[in-house]
Formats: sequence, C-alpha cells, structure tokens
Amino acid sequence: MPRNGRRHTALLAAAVVPAVLLAGCSSGDTSAGTSTAGGSKAEPVHGGSLTYAVDTEPISWDIAVSQQDVTGSIQRNVFDSLVYQDPEGGGFQPWLATSWQVSGDLRTYTFHLRTDVKFTDGTRFDAQAVKANFDRIVDPATKSQYASGLLGPYTGTKVVDPATVVVSFAKPFAPFLQAASTPYLGFYSPAAITRYGSKLGAGGPADVGTGPFVFSGYTKGQSAVMTRNPDYNWAPKAADHQGPAYLDKLTFRFLSQDSVRIGALRSGQIQVAKSVPPADLKSLKAEPTLQVLSEQSPGAVYSLVLNTSRAPFDDLAVRRAFQRGINVDADVKSVYFGAYQRAWTTLSPATPGYTKALDNTLAYDPAKANQLLDQAGWTGRDSDGYRTKNGAVLNVVWPLMPQNLVTQQHDILGQAVQADLKKIGIRVQRPRQDVGTFVKQLFGGQDDVSDYSWSRADPDVLRLYFNSAEPPSKGGANGTFYKDADLDTWTEQGLTTLDPAARAAVYAKVQQRAVNDLALSVPLYVGSALVGASTRVHGLTSDANTWLEFHDTWLGK
Amino acid sequence: MTASDIARTAARKLAAAAAVLLGAATVAFAALQLIPGDPVTVMLGPFSSASPAVRAQITAHFGLGRPVWQQYPRYLGHLLQGDLGESYQSQQPVLSLIRGQLWPTVQLALAALLFALVFALAVAVATAGRRPALRAVASLVELLTVSTPSYWIGILLLTAFSFRLRIFPVTGDQGLGALVLPALTLALPMAGVLAQVLREGLEAALEQPFTVTARSRGLSVTAVRLRHALRHAALPLVTLTGWLAGSLLGGAVLVETVFGRPGIGALMLQATTNKDMPLVIGLVLLSALVFVLVSTLVDLLYLAIDPRLRTDPVTG
Repeated sequence: MPRNGRRHTALLAAAVVPAVLLAGCSSGDTSAGTSTAGGSKAEPVHGGSLTYAVDTEPISWDIAVSQQDVTGSIQRNVFDSLVYQDPEGGGFQPWLATSWQVSGDLRTYTFHLRTDVKFTDGTRFDAQAVKANFDRIVDPATKSQYASGLLGPYTGTKVVDPATVVVSFAKPFAPFLQAASTPYLGFYSPAAITRYGSKLGAGGPADVGTGPFVFSGYTKGQSAVMTRNPDYNWAPKAADHQGPAYLDKLTFRFLSQDSVRIGALRSGQIQVAKSVPPADLKSLKAEPTLQVLSEQSPGAVYSLVLNTSRAPFDDLAVRRAFQRGINVDADVKSVYFGAYQRAWTTLSPATPGYTKALDNTLAYDPAKANQLLDQAGWTGRDSDGYRTKNGAVLNVVWPLMPQNLVTQQHDILGQAVQADLKKIGIRVQRPRQDVGTFVKQLFGGQDDVSDYSWSRADPDVLRLYFNSAEPPSKGGANGTFYKDADLDTWTEQGLTTLDPAARAAVYAKVQQRAVNDLALSVPLYVGSALVGASTRVHGLTSDANTWLEFHDTWLGK
Repeated sequence: MTASDIARTAARKLAAAAAVLLGAATVAFAALQLIPGDPVTVMLGPFSSASPAVRAQITAHFGLGRPVWQQYPRYLGHLLQGDLGESYQSQQPVLSLIRGQLWPTVQLALAALLFALVFALAVAVATAGRRPALRAVASLVELLTVSTPSYWIGILLLTAFSFRLRIFPVTGDQGLGALVLPALTLALPMAGVLAQVLREGLEAALEQPFTVTARSRGLSVTAVRLRHALRHAALPLVTLTGWLAGSLLGGAVLVETVFGRPGIGALMLQATTNKDMPLVIGLVLLSALVFVLVSTLVDLLYLAIDPRLRTDPVTG
C-alpha cells in the first residue's frame, strides 16, 4: 500500500501476521473452532482489554487522505471493505459486498451489497455510502495522498438501488478488487463525512465505520482506544467466528523506541508488540510467556534500484557485475540475525505472481563480477584499488536517506554492501542528504542507486517499479529510469486481466526481464512482520498486508 | 520606584518580548524557505504516491506557489491575528494542536524542575565545603548525570523501575505515577549542573567574612548555610535554572518519545520529521514565548532575592 519515505524504507513494515495462526484460521472451515496463537484449541474467552504497542503514530487518521501504513493497519479494525483478500491465496471473498460482477473490459464493477450492515453511529450502510466515500476520495479538495491512487482511472459510482452500485473506470483496471479490499477504500458513515469533513484526520469519535471496533478515544502522542462494536455481525468468511469481537477494549500505544516496546512486553504492560527488532527475536522466543509471530510482507522487497540513465549503470555489464558482487546471503544474515530471508526477485513470496524461477540465478560470484567489469573496460586501478577506465574511477553514488527516514538498519546493511563492492573495485559513495536534496536528486535521476521497498498485496506493484510511465516524480517507483517496450507492455497487460494464471505468467516475464536480463535492480531481502505477543493472546490473525486484525482475538489466562 | 517607572519598565519588557517573537517568527519562516526542494514533496516524503494533481492541490491550498515576498507579509498578518494556520499533515488548526498537547508537557517540566532543584539543594548544602570524600563522590555522580544522554538515562530508569521492579508504568499520561520516571529523566542532568554551580557558590560564600561573623553570633553551621550563604549562591542558581527551564522543551522531545507520553516534545518531533511547516513555526513561537516568560520570571526573582537590585529600577 501506500508508503511514505519511512514506510518505504521500512519495507512497509506495516504489519504483522502470525503464520501459525493463519494456518488455523484461513481454512475457511469455521466449524473447526478457534485457532490459537499457540496452535492449540480452546474455548474463546469473552471480554478483557488488550494493549498493542506500535512503533509509529498516524499523522492523519483519515483513511481517504493518509498514505501511512500505520493509519491503514490500525483503522483496519474500524473500517470494513467491499471485499476481503484471502491472506493465503490472495483471492477475494465477500465482505460488505455479497457478490460482484466485472465487465469483460474490466472497466465496470457491479457490487451487490449486504443490507444488514450499520455504521456505529446507527446509520445504514448502503450504495449511497459507497458513492459518497469514493467521490470524496477523488475530490481534489480531499487531498488524498494514497486512496485516490488506489481508485486509479475512476470515473464515477452509480447507485442502482440501495443494495447495488456500479463503479466505473476510464480504462481496464484489474487491481481494483485488491484496492477495494484495503482499509484505505473502507467506508466512513456519510453522516460523519458531512459533519466532520476535513476534520476526520483528527481521529477519535469522529472516526465512524462499520468495523468490529469503535474508535472511542485518542490521546495524541500516547494512545488510541477502541471498544467493541456490539452489533458487528458481518465478518468475512475467513474469520474464525461471526458476531462481535471478543475483546471489550483494544488500546493502541505509540512506543517508537524498540527497547521500550520490548521491555513493556516483557514486563506484561502490553500484550502485543509490533516490529520486534531482529536482534531480540532469539531472546523473546526463549521466554516461556512470550511468542513471536512472523509473516513475510507482500509487495516489492527491499531492493537496490539502479539508475540506468547515466554512467556507469547505463552499461548492462556494470549492472550485472554490481548484482554479482554483493554477498547478499551473508550480509542479510549478519545484519538481521536470520530474521529475514534473502530475496531473489522484486516481488515478495507473499505476493500473488511471485516467481520462483529466479531463485539462485544471481548468486554471489565475485569472479564473474570481476570478469564482467574487465570486459566492460574497467581494467585500470587507482591507488586505492578502485577500477578505472580512461582515467575515470568506477564510482557509484548511493545517497543515505535523512537519518530520521533510515529504518531496519538499512545504513548498516549498506555498509556491508559497500565493503563487498570494494572487493571488486567499485567505489560506493554514500553522502548523507536532507529530505529536500534527497528527493530532488532522486526525482531528477541524479543518483546511481536508490533503495526502497513497496508494500502491496498485488503484483501490479511491478508496474510502479518498471513501467517507464512511473518515474518517482509522478508517484511511481521507477528509479531505474529505464524504458523497455516489453516491460511497459507486460506491466500494462497485467492490468487487463483478472485471470490469476494469465497474470502470473505475465508478471513472471516481468521479473525475469527486469531483474535477470536487464539487471535493473538488486533484490536484497524479504521483510517480515515480526510480532511479539504474550502467550495469553489467542486468535491473533492478520490480513493480506500482514496487518493484525483483532476481531477473533481473545485473552486467556 | 514610581508608578511611571513601573509602567516604563513594563512597556520596555513588552516591546522586547514582541521583538523576540517577531524575530523567532522571521527566522523560522526564513529557515523553512531555505529547506532545499519543493515544500510539498519534502512534506510528503521521498516515496509518496500522491499524484501531481494532489500535489498541486496541496500547493494551492497552503498558498505555497506564491513568491516569498507575498508569502511573508501574509504569514505575519495571520500571526498578528493569532492565526497560526493549519497543520499540513493532520489538517487541524495549529493552535488547537498545541493547546491539546501543552498541559502534559507543562506538568512534566514543572515536576522535572522541582526534582532538579530539590536534589541540587540537598546535595549541595550537604556537601559544600566539607567531607572531601563525600564531596568527590557527589561531584562524580553529578558529572555522570550531566554527561549521560537523557535518552539513555530514561531507558535505564525504565528498565530498572518499570520493566524489572514494576513500580511505575512505562506508559504515558496516566496519573502521577507515570510522571515520575520521565520527570526524573529530565531532572537528573539538570540537578547535576545545578548542584555543581550551587556548591561552588556556597563554598565561595562560606569563605566570606560574614560567615565568621554569623558563626560568632552563635549560629550553627547549617543555619549559616541555609540563611546566609544560600542567598548569595542563589543568584547564579536562578539564572541557570531559568536557562535550563527554557531548554526543557528540547529535552521533552526525547523523553516524551521514549516514554510514549503526549506533549509538545512529541508534537515537535512529528512536526519536524514531517516538515509540517505551520506546526513547526507554531512550536518555534511557543518556545520563544516560553523563553520570554522565563527570563521575565528570572528578573523578578532577582529582585526578590537581592534587595540591592530593588533600589535602582533603571539598572533592571
């Protein structure tokens, strides 16, 4: 989903999902009873209060405006969507919409809505509410930073009757179902929109949705408090149970310091902690009263993106050498203590369309890298041992993000990469830049390398990465500045079909061409949402984004 | 001091305060103009997916497209009417954001000041000029508290008293219990500085002839310290306390972040990392205002402590 600088670099770390849990809860077999975090079966306990510490605080709570992961992940508990994306297979299930039809040209989506859904202010959810929300998102006055992008070439919503809406687009728009499954395209009560409008960003009682929890209180800088929605009876099928949530109260605490969040978890002051630092994984797992849940984040993995619009990366051989000269396995393992898996391709394995064909194809091979650089003419050496050609040093500029945007120890991982490349004679310079300069350089294609990830549970993220119409200055993520007719065609083809097999085939070609044939980027690692929780916490599930959902969660002894 | 003297002094103080605020507002405005890059892009961050249309809308909404010579008077005009504008990011009036977060920080700052002064007084009076070993230990501890980053002190206190002993909650604004550790974190480095200065002052005062005179009139050592020497040593203490009080806001940034407390510090951190300019400017003005208030308070305390200053208003 959306990302801001932080989230990008953070691998959009937004969320978290207990893998163990998913196995139990996503089978769709609700008769099996409740899966628990520990894997054992037990009767859920009603009531209780759970505190979940997250590492960032939403700037704006308005789901139609915000681009932050943290806003979406917290608001997931307050807002339902038209459809639910299955965290396992990536397919879509009914939620607020009981069924839907998509026109053959993928430009019109007709949704049939549930008629028993009420907003927590007592008003009814209907077709008019869908229209009011979507129209608000695309209204320029809303200044939507992310949701408007999710609506793509939206042209309007037509209310057929209270239980039927037709959403139309100017062009074929396959990613719409996935977009519609995100909290950013969730629904505010139209009464709340009328009453609060642009003040919805303030959160709290103005934040009225149809979800299992009611946003009842917010203390900026400290916490957001949700209480159970007693009328809730429209959970998606994937949920373990229907009816209201088990918990009486759910508190989100904002604790940005890792050591404080983990200390609070260890001492029992909170029951769930987001973003466990990889270095703490082992010691947390060793504690009998704690459990650690890990789930790979979907979307584009953390990669080095090579700017092909200028030397030296305008030369394919140099890009290939750069890929082969980085000891990704060793670097990722030592920096993240084995918590994250190394990546072979741009997509995370948790994303539909991921291909395994690239596994092991670009393994560390300094000899090969050296050979490629020799062939490319970088045969000289300067006094520091860096390669030269016609008197110029083989120099690569990879700016460091502003300090406050560096997360996940990317600066340390960068040092390891720098050291690897020095061995094959490539000099990597890492100037520290302020945000303004950083953005200007990146958008202008003035750096050689940029590094980011992009979380989204849909392979269309590859279009943002490799389609030539998606440079960073236009909100895309194509820092390669490469124009390839095949990549453009294929990533657009992906927009025109809903057939999973056809999409998988097209996106496998994109990955092969972009990463392997053209060496446009170096995938480094697949981020994982790491959650620490007390063993008292059961039924913790997460959605396709790896964001925790608390509808099925209950507290044992 | 006549009534007109007082009026003149008050007018002068007010004018100075206004000048400080105008200066702060101008410097903040200029600094934000100097941030490289397009303000909207900087605000949204390097990887925003906001479309060009949304960026244009934000630019237009906040008047960022106008030339600087138009923006500045417009900005000052709004300020004069008490309108600090609307936060770019949260879309709420800056004034109400600040108002909502002010009280927790004021509580924190007052508690920290109180702790610091009590510690400093107790340690300095107990160790000034006697028992060299004790004095040396106190000095060492003071030096440690002063030179340890307050972030680290906070983590240590939390680990000991919240995570292990479980006496205080880590978390936020939940009554007085939750105020103790954050206030101590802010107070310890201050106490270290204040105790050192106060001890120097006390020791200097105790070497003055009046000490011998007072002792010869039969006063106990402690009475001499408290009643006579302390008054002499208090002037530098007040100056320094005022200065430190002005800097508490900066300390609050770290402490509020570590402890997950609401407050101006947390707001400041959010505003600067997100380049939320109206909010940054509002907070800069608030700091300037605090500085003006504290320095006025320090002047008044001077008058209370040293009677000699009261006789000649012109030197104030």
